[in-house]
Amino acid sequence: MVKDFVNGLWGENPIFRAVIGICSALAVTTAGQNGIAMGLALTFVLTCSSILVSILKNIIPSKVRIPCYIIVIATFTTIVDLFMKAYFPALYQVMGIFIPLIVVNCIVLWRAEGFASKMSLIRSIADALGMGLGYAWAITLISIVREILGSGTLFGIHIMGANFTHWVIMLLPPGAFLVMGILVGIMNMITRKPVKNTHCH
Amino acid sequence: MNQYTRMIVVLVAISLAAGALLAFSYEVTNPKIQEQAQQALEQAVMKVIPGAEKMTTVEKEGMTLYIGTDNQGNKKGIAFKTTGSGFSGPIEIMVGYNPKEGKLTGIEILSMSETPGLGARIKEPAFTDQFKGKSVKDDFIPKKDVKVITGATISPAAVSKAIKSSLATVTKIYPVGGDF
Repeated sequence: MVKDFVNGLWGENPIFRAVIGICSALAVTTAGQNGIAMGLALTFVLTCSSILVSILKNIIPSKVRIPCYIIVIATFTTIVDLFMKAYFPALYQVMGIFIPLIVVNCIVLWRAEGFASKMSLIRSIADALGMGLGYAWAITLISIVREILGSGTLFGIHIMGANFTHWVIMLLPPGAFLVMGILVGIMNMITRKPVKNTHCH
Repeated sequence: MNQYTRMIVVLVAISLAAGALLAFSYEVTNPKIQEQAQQALEQAVMKVIPGAEKMTTVEKEGMTLYIGTDNQGNKKGIAFKTTGSGFSGPIEIMVGYNPKEGKLTGIEILSMSETPGLGARIKEPAFTDQFKGKSVKDDFIPKKDVKVITGATISPAAVSKAIKSSLATVTKIYPVGGDF
């Protein structure tokens, strides 16, 4: 169970390892708070969907399982969308269109089809939370780097001096690819196993 | 139950449950969403009409106009929404207009998706403040009577053009020098 949780956080991290669902990860990560909000929204949808899919796994006929999963995912996404619009209008203004796009975020369907539909409820919840929070910390990290370099702020607070030149490219789409690429590289460096000299011929 | 009936029953059941859940969350959130939208609108109107405390909405010739009044009921100006086509999407602008003086009282960019650091600077007071007190009879041509932003040609032009073209309609409804 703990293994399932940690798997999403690190081993199979959706952004840095599986490189899945990166559309929203690249698009909304211009400010730290966007990263956190998007991460939590996805974690909510992913966890609720995984719970339902795991409970219903023996009831849903395999031929119609994909439409069933999509209905479940779309329902939870719309709920997040409505509540965000009602209670966090400022945040909704910034990431409005990316919330409905959680429906087609591959991470959710990937975990529903690949994990929750085969495993027990408890393991599914652990997996969904791990994957969701793994996504959240990954995009929050990308957001923080882009916000510091692009706007000179961290969660809206100015931390770079007044003379700091803003790297506008960091706020544009290429900046997202640059930051993500470098972070994936760093992550690979940390986890790379030393190559054994096997003397192959 | 054969497998086809089962498929239909399961899909219908899941869809019904999803529909019910969505109807419920819509009912819960909708009043709040409407309230937020109204609040955002009022804030924008107050910002572009200095001194306005209350607003009334009027519909005239297919345009929605907001009349701003102060606490004594004195009319302070008219606000209206207009949309320009920017570099990467529509730019929604709230414009304040005082017919008595024939001048704009201010503008506010409501939504836009221009390039950060370049076109997005149309949101900054350095750009929007120049429209305060601008005569509606001006040409609104960038580099002539509208200050532009270095590196962004299209966004300021889109804002100017949108304001000018909507003013053509609004000044017909509320002519310069007339009452409102």
